[in-house]
Amino acid sequence: MALVLSGQVVPCDASDPDAVFAGRVFIDDGGNIEQVGKGNAAAPAGFAAAKVIDVGNDFIVPGLIDLHNHIGYNTLPLWAEPTRKTPYAHHDSWPSAPSYQSSITWPSKALATTEPEALLAYVQLRALVGGTTAMQGWPTANRQHVQVLRNIDDETAGGTSHELIYTSTLTLKPIELAKKAQAQRNGAGFVYHCGEGQVASLVEREFVDCSHAGCLGRTFIGIHCNSLTANDWTLWPVADAGAVVWSPFSNLWLYGSTTDIKAARRQGVSVCIGSDWGPSGTKNIQGEIKVAKLVSQKQGLGLSDRDLVAMITSNPGDALARCWNKRVGRLMKGAFADITVIRAAGQKPVWTQIVESTEAAITLVIVGGVPRYGDPAPMQVVGGPTETFTLAGKDRRFAIADPAAPAKAWPFSKITGLLNAVIADPKAALNRAEARLRAFAGPANAAEAPLQLALDMPTGFGGFAGNIRDHADKVVIPPLASLLHDAKFFTDIKGRGFHGGLLDGLKGFYP
Amino acid sequence: MTGAPRRRAGRMSVLGTKDVSPEVVKLSWAERLDILDGLSLLLDQIYVHLPLKRSLYGFDIIRALASLRQQSTSINDVEFHRGLTTLINRLRDAHTQYRGPWTKEGVVASLPFLVEAFGPRENPTYFVSKVDGRSVKDKYFTEGVEITHWNGIPFARALELHADVETGGRPDSRRARALESLTFRALEYAPPPNEEWVVVDYVDHWRRKRSIRLQWEGLEPGKAPNAGRKSLAMRFKRSIHLEAEAVRRAKKYRFNRDLWRAEGETARRRGGRRGPAAAFADFLSARTVTTTHGKFGYLRIWSFDVEDDQAFIDAATQLVERLPDRGLIIDIRSNPGGLIWAAERLLQIFTPNTVQPTKFALRSTGTTAEMASAPFNREELGAWAESLATAQNTGEPYSAHIPITSPEQCNDLGQRYGGPIVVVCDANTYSSGDIFAAGIVDNGIGSLVCIGDATGAGGANVWSAQDLADALRPAKIALPRFPKGVDFTMAIRRAVRAGPSDGALIEDSGVAGQHYDMTGTDIAHGNKDLIEQCATILAAQPRTRMNVKRVTSGIEVETAGLDQLDVFAAGHPVGRPYRVGRDGKHTLKLRAKKSAMIEIVGFAQGIVRQRRRIVP
Repeated sequence: MALVLSGQVVPCDASDPDAVFAGRVFIDDGGNIEQVGKGNAAAPAGFAAAKVIDVGNDFIVPGLIDLHNHIGYNTLPLWAEPTRKTPYAHHDSWPSAPSYQSSITWPSKALATTEPEALLAYVQLRALVGGTTAMQGWPTANRQHVQVLRNIDDETAGGTSHELIYTSTLTLKPIELAKKAQAQRNGAGFVYHCGEGQVASLVEREFVDCSHAGCLGRTFIGIHCNSLTANDWTLWPVADAGAVVWSPFSNLWLYGSTTDIKAARRQGVSVCIGSDWGPSGTKNIQGEIKVAKLVSQKQGLGLSDRDLVAMITSNPGDALARCWNKRVGRLMKGAFADITVIRAAGQKPVWTQIVESTEAAITLVIVGGVPRYGDPAPMQVVGGPTETFTLAGKDRRFAIADPAAPAKAWPFSKITGLLNAVIADPKAALNRAEARLRAFAGPANAAEAPLQLALDMPTGFGGFAGNIRDHADKVVIPPLASLLHDAKFFTDIKGRGFHGGLLDGLKGFYP
Repeated sequence: MTGAPRRRAGRMSVLGTKDVSPEVVKLSWAERLDILDGLSLLLDQIYVHLPLKRSLYGFDIIRALASLRQQSTSINDVEFHRGLTTLINRLRDAHTQYRGPWTKEGVVASLPFLVEAFGPRENPTYFVSKVDGRSVKDKYFTEGVEITHWNGIPFARALELHADVETGGRPDSRRARALESLTFRALEYAPPPNEEWVVVDYVDHWRRKRSIRLQWEGLEPGKAPNAGRKSLAMRFKRSIHLEAEAVRRAKKYRFNRDLWRAEGETARRRGGRRGPAAAFADFLSARTVTTTHGKFGYLRIWSFDVEDDQAFIDAATQLVERLPDRGLIIDIRSNPGGLIWAAERLLQIFTPNTVQPTKFALRSTGTTAEMASAPFNREELGAWAESLATAQNTGEPYSAHIPITSPEQCNDLGQRYGGPIVVVCDANTYSSGDIFAAGIVDNGIGSLVCIGDATGAGGANVWSAQDLADALRPAKIALPRFPKGVDFTMAIRRAVRAGPSDGALIEDSGVAGQHYDMTGTDIAHGNKDLIEQCATILAAQPRTRMNVKRVTSGIEVETAGLDQLDVFAAGHPVGRPYRVGRDGKHTLKLRAKKSAMIEIVGFAQGIVRQRRRIVP
């Protein structure tokens, strides 16, 4: 269904990065951008009867891309081990913290095991309210499921191959890195958690291994890389510079320090931003960009607001386009029609308004040409099944299909009702889930098979750590973390983690 | 009986020429290559016993398949499937079986009688132990007649010839399997018999030589309520001889028709007032046996092929708690195995001590390493991933050996029967039956009495073709497409024993116990001598007893033969040990939260004899 968006277009055009103009974005039936036109420039053929969403002076920007997450954990609140007094050394340090399994592994596993569809719906909605259109870090699944955001790990970009991008959360052995480098030589991308830890800690070696393996090329997207010294960055040849995903909140929360962005940029490495997961990250990519701004100001990184916006739009878009052979993250002909509309307010420069916008300013989110979330008015233009819910006192609509009735939208109360039932009695829910699996004997990838999700983060110490059945009696799941950067979130930040108070400043962006 | 397989349980019909020489779906040569390529890949890269079978039988299945590949364009379809079945059977592994498109789901070919042996293994006597009067009209061919010839071949030799194509690692286990499959063949898992009828020569009760011609018949016994259904929940957790399980059901249908009929009734009442034991009547039965040493409990575990391990254990617990606590005979003869969790978790209800589960390993190959490290397989195989990755460097042939049933699950319920235990097994006790027997011996739970040299020696976790496809898919390893009607099962993780026999293989060795030869009295009088022998073993064990219950003033503990009680609340000791001066009831005052799990441990001369939990 063709669609036209009319408003203040912020195309993030490579040839004119500062461009902002009143205009229209034409979206074709296939969910791609057919044309971006200034003013009342003529519509392309086939759009005479297209529905028009006029957003007035609001900003039509490329859909926000969260290039680092672990979405299966995004119902959980911030986590800090109460007994820990010093920052962790690296990514292998905190999974053995005494409270890790009970606070993270079991609650997330219980929800993923018992209500996987509701879990995915809730965490996708959490991303949508922050304007996100594409995410990295999905749990692997036995079969297809309801998916409204673009799944960066599994995108086929119009083709049939699911191997356009390889990902790994866990550290790979050198021989495995070499295999990934082989795939990169054939055009694949590789999104890799690499060197996550304090500067010069032993995980720095992971980046050196990537260099030896031949991974450090244009399609390498390194997540974190915060243990790298300035000298390490020089291992990545400028001509082959790929991208790094910066998650400053999580870095500061766990390690008290973050990625050397100056060194990365000096090397020509494109900087993208990822909000990371619920236990040590912001609620969504909108929140993370504000943390990046705080860090830039504190460390004198010299990042402009336009630079920051690029880190969640065109920078990740260009990195992904190299792997997909398909544009995203810029509003241009042939690109995926992934678009976020942000309410314009005040006289500040457009880039500043975008950086400082909160969830309340997100008025429309379109993924692949389909409106998925927004204010009631623009959502109603296209029609189609949507559900209403109230967010921060305002009516919002979203379109996530009910897995049991795909032609209908899934009410928010149903989604949260299912998850809250698990929270109320995890053991009973786990028994129900096992009975569900017991009742199905076909192939695991059959459409009618119960959905099974495999979460991607470390499970903590112990060979059977992933076996929820052993721990069913002890599972305690915290209440669903809210979809917003709310008062509880800011209260949870204060005095916890190892950020030295820097993250307290995030609250200042949220009136 | 020809045509499409019938699914309705409870049918019997005569097998005809088209059944024993079935027409099979025509395969293209390409489809034959798909089968051979798929099996070659899996046997070479994943089949856990490949080195063992090469070493033990001097047979190279990979080379044999390569040879069949060369011949595959010059043989017909039946020759192809029979040839493949024969090659796979030369592995002598009941877990690893090829099913050609002639198989008939749910159908068991059967002759209307059972043959059993008694006496010393060097010179056993073969006789008819059961006859189905609905199919046998010869009034002289009755239970107890001795068989002399089979299709004109002296019976012992006929049995040897049949055993040559049977599974089983040891000669005695092959013979035991052959004796069973001589008159029962599950057509879902094995080719049909070669003949439409057999001629049996026998000596009647008046010592006159007679002959009878008996027709093969097809039975459809159906599955029991609560039987395993290959569900997603229990996938990857089975150890079972599927053919033997089907035969077990067919025997029940043929010779215990009343019990078989009662299943339907039980299923309708499931969850009703009859309790969990009734829902598992096909898997468990219990009674009190009277011997010269007194009364003992007798628990028959027919099979572990259940879908819900907890419900199965609840049923077993309900049964044994009603039996005399002087001692318990657990009979697992001809138990074909089933759910590993059911077999291993059941052990804990018979012991006051911590149960160590059996451990399992995968073969170390590039394929198993990739399969185990795939993120989606992390819960099922992640524990093996590190050692498989390391083995790629070190050349270790196997991964680390790690339990499939977690130690926590093996000890999450605690002891429920306090008397001494003796377990009876035979060479047809297989798979999870082997694992249960190993658990009894290796955890010091009780004595093992064995009809034959040892248990059947099926020491592996078995996966179906579907299981393999589901586990390989996340690792992006694709199998060739198998033509419709072609299926297989394969041993994927080998089992090794725990405790004092730590690391000992079960496959092809089995679990040995005190040897016992069945007697004529056993056959004619319901295992009378065998039970007496078991009672002798039980009577020689120290006798202790402990029953506990919560009362208003604390915990009431009834003891016999104990001299000390320790009390724990939520895992912590409560007060000093309680000295027991006499047998009888004792009330222990307890200061503990009502929500805390209480554990009472009974000692006799410093040895833990009893342990009970009171769960809030």
